[in-house]
Amino acid sequence: MNWPRKDLLDIAALSAEEIEIILDTAVSMKEVLTRPVKKLPTLRGKAVAMLFYETSTRTRSSFETAAKILGADTSSLAVAQSSVSKGESLLDTAKTLAAMNIDLLVVRHAASGAPQFLAERLPLGVINAGDGQHAHPTQALLDVYSMREKWGGVTGRKIVIVGDVLHSRVARSNALCLTKLGAEVVLVGPPTLLPPEMDYLGVRLSYDFDRELAGADGVMALRLQLERQQSGLFPSLREYNRLYGLTRERMARAGKECLVLHPGPMNRGVEIMSDVADSPQSVIETQVTNGVAVRMALIYLLLSGGAVDAVA
Amino acid sequence: MLWLKNARVVDPAQGISGIRDVFVRDGRILMIGRSIPTDRLTDGGEPETLDCAGKYLFPGLVDAHVHLREPGQEYKEDIASGSRAAVRGGVTSLICMANTSPVIDSQALVAFVARQGRRAGLAHVYPAAAVTKGMAGEELTEMAELKASGAIAFSDDGRGVQNGEIMRLALEYAKLTGCPVVSHCEDAALAGKGVMRRGRASAALGLAGMPGAAESAMAARDVLLAGETGGKLHLAHVSTRGTLAALRAGKAAGWDVTAEVNPHHLILTDEDVPLTNSAFKVNPPLPSAEDRDALLLALADGTIDMLASDHAPHAWEEKARPFAEAPFGMTALETALPAIWTYLVQPGKLSVERLVDAFARRPAERFALEAGTLRPGMPADMVLFDPEYQEIVTASDMASKSVNTPFLGRTLRGYPVKTWVGGHLVFERPAAV
Repeated sequence: MNWPRKDLLDIAALSAEEIEIILDTAVSMKEVLTRPVKKLPTLRGKAVAMLFYETSTRTRSSFETAAKILGADTSSLAVAQSSVSKGESLLDTAKTLAAMNIDLLVVRHAASGAPQFLAERLPLGVINAGDGQHAHPTQALLDVYSMREKWGGVTGRKIVIVGDVLHSRVARSNALCLTKLGAEVVLVGPPTLLPPEMDYLGVRLSYDFDRELAGADGVMALRLQLERQQSGLFPSLREYNRLYGLTRERMARAGKECLVLHPGPMNRGVEIMSDVADSPQSVIETQVTNGVAVRMALIYLLLSGGAVDAVA
Repeated sequence: MLWLKNARVVDPAQGISGIRDVFVRDGRILMIGRSIPTDRLTDGGEPETLDCAGKYLFPGLVDAHVHLREPGQEYKEDIASGSRAAVRGGVTSLICMANTSPVIDSQALVAFVARQGRRAGLAHVYPAAAVTKGMAGEELTEMAELKASGAIAFSDDGRGVQNGEIMRLALEYAKLTGCPVVSHCEDAALAGKGVMRRGRASAALGLAGMPGAAESAMAARDVLLAGETGGKLHLAHVSTRGTLAALRAGKAAGWDVTAEVNPHHLILTDEDVPLTNSAFKVNPPLPSAEDRDALLLALADGTIDMLASDHAPHAWEEKARPFAEAPFGMTALETALPAIWTYLVQPGKLSVERLVDAFARRPAERFALEAGTLRPGMPADMVLFDPEYQEIVTASDMASKSVNTPFLGRTLRGYPVKTWVGGHLVFERPAAV
C-alpha cells in the first residue's frame, strides 16, 4: 500500500479509494486500542507537533493520543503563552517549528485555508484539524468510520445533517466524504443558516427536519454556537430547538435503527436532548474512540507513506 | 521637438483612430495629421524622429483611482514609487485617494501630496481629499479650502459613508467646489466580516461572503441622493448588477452620475479565488461570472463611464497570511493596461477606441483635468503601446514597492513601451526598444 500524500487538508482532494484506505487502516488501529498495552514502535523517532489557534480539548488530545500510541514524540504549542501573543505571524511560528525538525504539524486555525497555506510553504507534512468554516477532514473520516462500522458501508444510506450548516466545517467535510462513498446527504437548517449557495456540495437542502427524518439511516446534529442568536441568525434557542432540535419524539419518525451522531461538544437541550444523546441509537462516545483510530491511521500513512507495517 | 511617425493613433476625443504623425513642441502637441509638411517643422532645428510603425499611440492614461499610501504607509508605496509604477503602466495622470495616515482632510496635507507628486516629476498626481474629517463619516471636511489647495475630488474611499444624511450634505456642499463626490459604496452592516463576494465559491472555500447588496444598496441610495440634491456623484469600482441598475436609472433620469470599473472586476470572478492566495482579495470583491459579464457590457455601452485601476499596494508580510486575515487590495498600475489588452481587447470584447475613451478621455473630462486627448495645444502626455510585446508579470520587475497582483506569473501581451509626460520621455521598456 502506497500513500504518496504529504498532507491531509481537505476531503475534496481525496478519491473514494483513498478514503477507503484510510478507513481500512483505521480498522487495524482500532484493534490496537483494545490491547492491554496500547503502544507501537512504528513511528519511534518521529515528531508530531500540535499548533492549535482555537481552543480544543477533544481534537487535540485525540491527535496526541494517536501519535503517542504509534510511538511518535508529540509537542504542543499553546498559542496564548507563545510568541504568537507577541505578534508573530502564523508563517513565522510554523517555520520555527519546522526548523526544529518536526515531521508532522497538526493545525487548527480560525481562518479558512490556514493549514493549506502552511502546507504550501513548508517541507513538513500538515494535517488540518479544522480551519475556519472550510474543512474538518479528520472529523468527517471518523464520522464515516463510525457509520461504516455499524452498517458495513455507507453506500445507499441516507444521512441527515442538521443545524448551522453555513458556518460548519464539519457539515462540509461530511457531505463531501459521504457523497464520495455513495451515500445520500440532506442538509437541514433554517434559511439563515442554510443559504442556497450551500448547494455547491451537490446535495439536497431542506428546511423541514421532520420530513427529512423519515427514512434516514443516520442523523448528525451540529453544534449550535449560541452567539449566533446575537447576530440575528435565529430568533431564540426555544424556537431553534422546536424546529431543529433532536428530540425523542422526532427520532421516532426516523425509526429505531437510525444512528445519532454529534461532533461534540454538545449543547444538551439545544440541538440535542439528553435522552437522545444517551440513547442506544447514539454513537457519540464511539465517535471519540474512533477518532483516535482514524487519526492513528492518518498519522501512520502520512509519516510512513504506507511503507512499513504498522500493526506488528 | 519630437516627431512621431506612422503611429496608430487612437484619440476618441478627436475621433481619430488610424495611422498618423504627431508633432510635439515645447511639451505640447503641436500638430497631428496623416503627413506633416516638413517645411512647417524645421523652424527651430532638427526634430528628433521616431518611427512608430506597428505601434499604437494613446493619450496618456488617466487613472481616477489610485492609492499611493503617502503619508504614513511608505513601506507599501510612496508617491515617488507609485509615480514610477504609473508611467511604467502608461498612466500619466492619476487621482490618489485620501485614506492615508493621517487622512487627507486638511489643506496642508492636500498641498503635501500635490508637492510630492511634483517632486517625483513623473505622472501628474492629483489629490482626492476626504469627504468627512478623518474619514469618520461624521463631519464634512473644509471642501472649499481643500479645493483651493489642489483637491480635485472628495472621497472617503476605503469605507462607505454610512450615514445617508452626511452623504446628502456632502453632495450639496461639494457644489461649492464643482468637484465630484466619489462614493465607495459599501454598507458596513451588510458587508459584515465578508472577505469575498457571497456565493457558491465563498461557501465552498468556507470564507465569509458579503452579499452584492452590500455595494448596490448604498449605490442606489447615493444615486437617489444625487438626483434629489442635483449634486455631482461618481461611483468608485462598481462590481454588481444591482449597482448597474441604480446607475442606469440615475442616468436615464438625467442626474449627474458617473461610474468607474476596475480591470480585475472585468477579468476575474469569485470562482478564480484560490483559498491560499490573498493577492485575489480585493474590495469590492471579485464578482460572480454573471456580474462580471454585465460589467463588461455596461462598460462597452457607456453605462459605466470609465476604467480605473484601484491600485492598492500592500507589503508582502501583510499579504502572506491566511485569506481572511490579509488586507484587501491589489496592485494594478503596471498591469491594468496589459491585462485589459490581453483579456478584453485581444479577444474582441472591448474595442481599442472604447479602451482609450474609458481610460483617458472620460476620467479627464469628469475630473476636469488637462489630459486625456492628443488635441493640439494639450500637454504631450502620451503612451507608445506595442500590442505584440509579451512579458511575464514578475515581482522583481515592478516599480511599485508592492507586488500583490493576481496576475503575477501570468504572461500578458500588449505593453506600453514608451511614456511621455509633457513631452519628456519618462519611461522606456528596456527589452522592447
